[in-house]
Amino acid sequence: MAPTVKVGETIPAGTFKYIPYTPELESNAACGVPVSLDITKDWKGKKVVLFSVPGAFTPTCHVNHLPPYLQKYDEFKAKGVDVIGVLASNDPFVMSGWGRFQDVKDKLLCLSDIGAEWSSKLGLSMDTPGGARTARYAIILDDLTIKYIEVEPAPGVSVSGADAVLAKL
Amino acid sequence: MTPPTPTLQAGDTVPDGTFRYIPYTEDPQRHSQSLDITEDLKGKKVVLFSVPGAFTPTCHVNHLPPYLQHYDDFKAKGVDIIAVVAANDPFVMSGWGRFEGVKDKILCLSDPEAEWSGKIGLALDMSQLHFGIRTARYAIIIDDLVITYIATEPGPGVTVTGAEALLAEL
Repeated sequence: MAPTVKVGETIPAGTFKYIPYTPELESNAACGVPVSLDITKDWKGKKVVLFSVPGAFTPTCHVNHLPPYLQKYDEFKAKGVDVIGVLASNDPFVMSGWGRFQDVKDKLLCLSDIGAEWSSKLGLSMDTPGGARTARYAIILDDLTIKYIEVEPAPGVSVSGADAVLAKL
Repeated sequence: MTPPTPTLQAGDTVPDGTFRYIPYTEDPQRHSQSLDITEDLKGKKVVLFSVPGAFTPTCHVNHLPPYLQHYDDFKAKGVDIIAVVAANDPFVMSGWGRFEGVKDKILCLSDPEAEWSGKIGLALDMSQLHFGIRTARYAIIIDDLVITYIATEPGPGVTVTGAEALLAEL
C-alpha cells in the first residue's frame, strides 16, 4: 500500500468526529458529546503528528502503537508539536472510551475517521470483513503541509511508531 | 427513531447464529472466538441484552452497570449466562468489558453488522449518523433456546430492557 499524497503536498480536507477530554469523563458517569474537527480550519498553522491504527483495542494498537506516543508526550511537545492525534475508523464513542482506557486525558486526541473515509482519500484504507479500516500509518503536518507520511509495510510498529516520528521532527 | 418490533415472541426458538467475542482473561488475548447460539446456549438459561454501541452514553452509564451490580441476583434465579451484545467488533466489546470491570461475569459479544439481531427484526440502520447498522436496545431471556421474554425499548433510556425489569421476569 502506498499513500496517494506525498511530502510537500497539502493535506486533503476532511473532518473527524471526536469527544474532547473533560475531567467529568473520568468518573464514567458521562460519555461526552462528539464534535467535529475540521482539518483545514483546526490544524492551520499547527504542527501535528497524526498516527493511525486499524482498530481501537486491537492487540498491536493497544499495546505497541499508542502507549509510546503517550509516554513520549513531553518529547513531542519539546519538538514544537501542537497536536498529537490517533485515528481509527471506530466511532467517536469507542475512540473516547479507548482513550480513557489508555488514560491519555487531553494529551492525545482520539479521532474517529468513520468508514475510513478520509484515510481512503490518501490511499490509506483497507477492506476487512468488518468494513473499511484505516491502515497503520503516521503523518507529520506543518501548517497543513505533509512533512512525513509513512505506512507500515508489515505487521508491527516501525515507521509509524513514536520513535520513528520523533526522529523526523 | 421508531424502535423496531421483534419478529419473534415468547415461545419461539431463537434463530441460529454466531457471535464473536474474546473470553475474559487477565491479559488481553489476541484472537476472538465464536459463540454458536444453538450449540453453546443449549440447555442454558440466558439473559441477553443489546445496546446500540459500546461506550455510548446510555449504554455505558445506564444499561450495562446495573446488570453487573445485580449479577448475584441473576445467578440466584438460575441464570447461567448474562451477555451484552452490540455490533462493535470483538476487540471493542472486550475493551468495553474491561473498562466496565465485568471480568467473566458478563460475556461481551459482537454481532457484526447486527446480523443475528437483524434475523429477529432488531437491527437499526444508523447510517445517517455514520454509525452503520447497529443492534437495537433490546433484552431477551432464553431458556434452552426458547424465548421466554423479549422486549425492545420504546424510547430513549432503559426500562423494559433493564436489569430490574429482567429480574422481575425470572
